[in-house]
Amino acid sequence: MTVFTCNDDLESMLTCIYDAWYSRLGHSNVRLATEPIEQLNMFDTYIHVEPNTDKAMAVADAINRRISPAFYSEVAFCLGAYEKDALDTVYRVLILGFKLGVGVLDAYGYDEVARFKAIRIRYGREASSFLEFVRFNLVDGVYVAHFEPKSRVLLPVAEHFSDRMPSEHWMLIDDVHKEAAVHPCNEQYYVRILSEEEFARLKATEDYDDGFTALWKIYFTEIAIKERENPKCQLTHFAKWKRKHVTEFA
Amino acid sequence: MYEIVNDYTTMDKLRILADAAKYDVACTSSGVDRRGKEGFLGNSCAAGICHSFAADGRCISLLKILMSNHCIHDCKYCLNRRSNDVERATFLPDEICKLVIEFYKRNYIEGLFLSSGVLNSPEYTMELICRTLSMLRNKYRFNGYIHVKAIPGAPAELLAQAGLLADRISLNLELPNSESLKKLAPGKSFNNIVKPMASISSTIAAHRVAIGKSPYMERSVINNRLENNIFSKMRIEAATSNSILVPERALDRDLSRPFAPAGMSTQMIVGATQDTDLEMITVSEQLYKSFDLKRVFYSAYVPLNEDAALPEKGTAVPLLREHRLYQADWLLRYYGFAASELLSPERPNFNEAIDPKCDWAVRHLDVFPVEVNTASADVLIRVPGIGPKSLERIFKARRYGGLTFDALKKMGVVLKRAKYFITCGGKMMDRIPIEERFIVNRLTDVDRREVYSISDRTIYRQMSLFDMGMKAVSG
Repeated sequence: MTVFTCNDDLESMLTCIYDAWYSRLGHSNVRLATEPIEQLNMFDTYIHVEPNTDKAMAVADAINRRISPAFYSEVAFCLGAYEKDALDTVYRVLILGFKLGVGVLDAYGYDEVARFKAIRIRYGREASSFLEFVRFNLVDGVYVAHFEPKSRVLLPVAEHFSDRMPSEHWMLIDDVHKEAAVHPCNEQYYVRILSEEEFARLKATEDYDDGFTALWKIYFTEIAIKERENPKCQLTHFAKWKRKHVTEFA
Repeated sequence: MYEIVNDYTTMDKLRILADAAKYDVACTSSGVDRRGKEGFLGNSCAAGICHSFAADGRCISLLKILMSNHCIHDCKYCLNRRSNDVERATFLPDEICKLVIEFYKRNYIEGLFLSSGVLNSPEYTMELICRTLSMLRNKYRFNGYIHVKAIPGAPAELLAQAGLLADRISLNLELPNSESLKKLAPGKSFNNIVKPMASISSTIAAHRVAIGKSPYMERSVINNRLENNIFSKMRIEAATSNSILVPERALDRDLSRPFAPAGMSTQMIVGATQDTDLEMITVSEQLYKSFDLKRVFYSAYVPLNEDAALPEKGTAVPLLREHRLYQADWLLRYYGFAASELLSPERPNFNEAIDPKCDWAVRHLDVFPVEVNTASADVLIRVPGIGPKSLERIFKARRYGGLTFDALKKMGVVLKRAKYFITCGGKMMDRIPIEERFIVNRLTDVDRREVYSISDRTIYRQMSLFDMGMKAVSG
């Protein structure tokens, strides 16, 4: 088995798909994985793939033209998921997709499709849970929020907020992947990959208490009915790993 | 007439009036899709967004507060009744607006839920509420979600104004029949609640028709597949009577909005009186059918007041009963069931050990097992373990070939429930006798954990050595 490995950004992953496809080793003889590889296997050959814009574009174009743009966006979301086997699953689904066309995502009978859907659903749930749990802090006229997602969900989350608060200055910071979405008032937002120095400066924005924090905490405690207390239910809906940076649990 | 003077800060008022509002269950921000606009704050998402979960596990989606907890009524079940000695406060409209805007910008909430005790008179209270909403929409340019409570007895013009400013308007029925209402809420009358409900419902329908929509509220798409769902033969009774609400200032630009686009809802208290589940669920069905209500909420009664007509203080809150009623409510709205199929005068209450859908299925074993690869939607949706989503997936996947139990599992079908009622390619999953007692025993076992988690809510965690008194050694 030959394993093609790459970094976990979209361009590298699409390049990796290109290289594996045209390696002519046969689809069943290749596997795709994102780095770091935790456990190397003695019988596998590992090939590292560097990102290449032309190859990545070729793959994106092929999916867009030969299957459909909607299918491409599903693939792109799935590649953003944190699951280790997301890349390989996408590769297997693409093989089927070029054969069966756009309907392939309804064919649950295929294992790879079922897995693809499971990853995609989990990604969607993670993104929508951060629409709920991201908390902004007012720092010098800019609303700043930090969050720590497992998958790369910055884009769908920022998309939601650009519709929700079009006339505010705000900034969303993904502390795990060190990316930020910056939205100036009444303008289109943009995504910036943060340098270490920028990241360290932005980290300090969390220490601000803007006066409404205390009011929110009071409301949060008062609204619970003591006789119905149910920590297990609370935990199910609001998992601990999502509570980082959330005002009421800070 | 009295004037309210006190020196409470906004924080004190928030504490008092949030505490007073917490027994109202509705806290959803669903039912309307609205894009954001430049210069305005907020949008709305049809699926609703929960922003946090309180210690009781209930979602916090809206800033749920009362305008005032002063009240002229003396309803026996209510904490804010006239005869109770509690801290009383009233918000100023501006205070509410500021709280909503600032909380919203920090992504704490999805909008406002504004209710109130009856301060001075229904007219006065409703006017105060309308003034607040108008200020929020027009001065503060808030475009997010607003849920407003209509005060029973308020004049029609004010209800019309509230409906135009809010997304959802609700009127609490509280109890399913007029006798219970008379017993527990002597100041209110059934007519006073049902009449405005009828006019709000017909106003919503009229406004929907005016903008080219169907007069009926949007329902889950699954209902299109189900022939005999409760909404299929519905008609809005009130539309025939001439009772459409018109605001006083009909041509006002500030009021040029759709009328309650997220519809109307209501709430009933569970366990304060001797009313049966059958009565509750029949009333709900009736409300869905004749007033096109978007939701009916059920609130397990928490004993707060001492009264001979009420359960004693310290009585357990009927959480499991409330849960079963919600399950049945979902069966009405998403599964094509009718109230009369779920319960009968001989069995007026739900079985607490298994859920209503399983309960129905084991009593109708003559219908089962059904073949997943060929059965119609009406039949499949009634199989325990198959819901609207998995049904949709089954229908799509059937186009690409036969289904196996393995594939069903991956689609999200809960096989531990469904396996007693389905076949795949003519075969059942295990050797299962189609026998009521056997299946009931198995299903009770499946549900036991859920029943236990609702009735007993202790939480267990992985123990760490430090819990046992060990100290971390540093250096």
